[in-house]
Amino acid sequence: MNDLLAFLFAAVALIGAVSTYFQRDRFNKLIAVGITFGGIVPFIVDRGYLDVAIITSLIIPITTIIILLICRREIHDA
Amino acid sequence: MTPEFILGCIILIVGVIAVGFPRPKTYLSRLISLEIPGFGLLLIMLAYDEMLALVTFIGVTAISTFVLVRAIERKEAAQ
Amino acid sequence: MIALYVVAAIAVFAAIRATVERNTGRKLPYVNVMNFAVAGALVLLLDHPLSLVAAAAYFVGSTLEANAIASTYAGGGRRE
Repeated sequence: MNDLLAFLFAAVALIGAVSTYFQRDRFNKLIAVGITFGGIVPFIVDRGYLDVAIITSLIIPITTIIILLICRREIHDA
Repeated sequence: MTPEFILGCIILIVGVIAVGFPRPKTYLSRLISLEIPGFGLLLIMLAYDEMLALVTFIGVTAISTFVLVRAIERKEAAQ
Repeated sequence: MIALYVVAAIAVFAAIRATVERNTGRKLPYVNVMNFAVAGALVLLLDHPLSLVAAAAYFVGSTLEANAIASTYAGGGRRE
């Protein structure tokens, strides 16, 4: 991975991390966490740890789905 | 100073600020923000080639998220 | 080698577009575009047989995550 490619994927990860802080809705925060994860997986693969990449990309969505159990939409807007 | 290390430090600092001062001051937003320093720490472990620590850290993060979700659910049901 | 740069640029564009979008329902297609672009980049990064499996695992996981968020946002999956 050269410098330009590292810069592009780092930009994806940083956009996700900063926008997790500035989003106010809970679903938007979860989407931003997904964007951050999409930015850091190419760095794991580039180091050669493909088994770690497989395990990580199967466990992180499970964590998101666990968090989704308590963020059902509120009743107040109905 | 590999790019993984620098990016991990930046994400770790941003995540610590996000967890310390969450924007809507609720338990749920703090829990969602807690994922971000985890990613930063993952990148720093990756820069030092600690593979076993990385896998263990990811697994423990998932389990602790489950425990915290149960705790928040119980707390909100009590109110 | 130009394909990798094209895919990475698409990922950055989709991430920016998903961030500046205000409606949550309209964010999700751009997140899906970013996931497809990253899954394509994973295959092109390393010339190893297992990288195909890694890309498939990332594809399955991220699609599951985005669809779970969409399903919960639409009000489905209510247990009571």
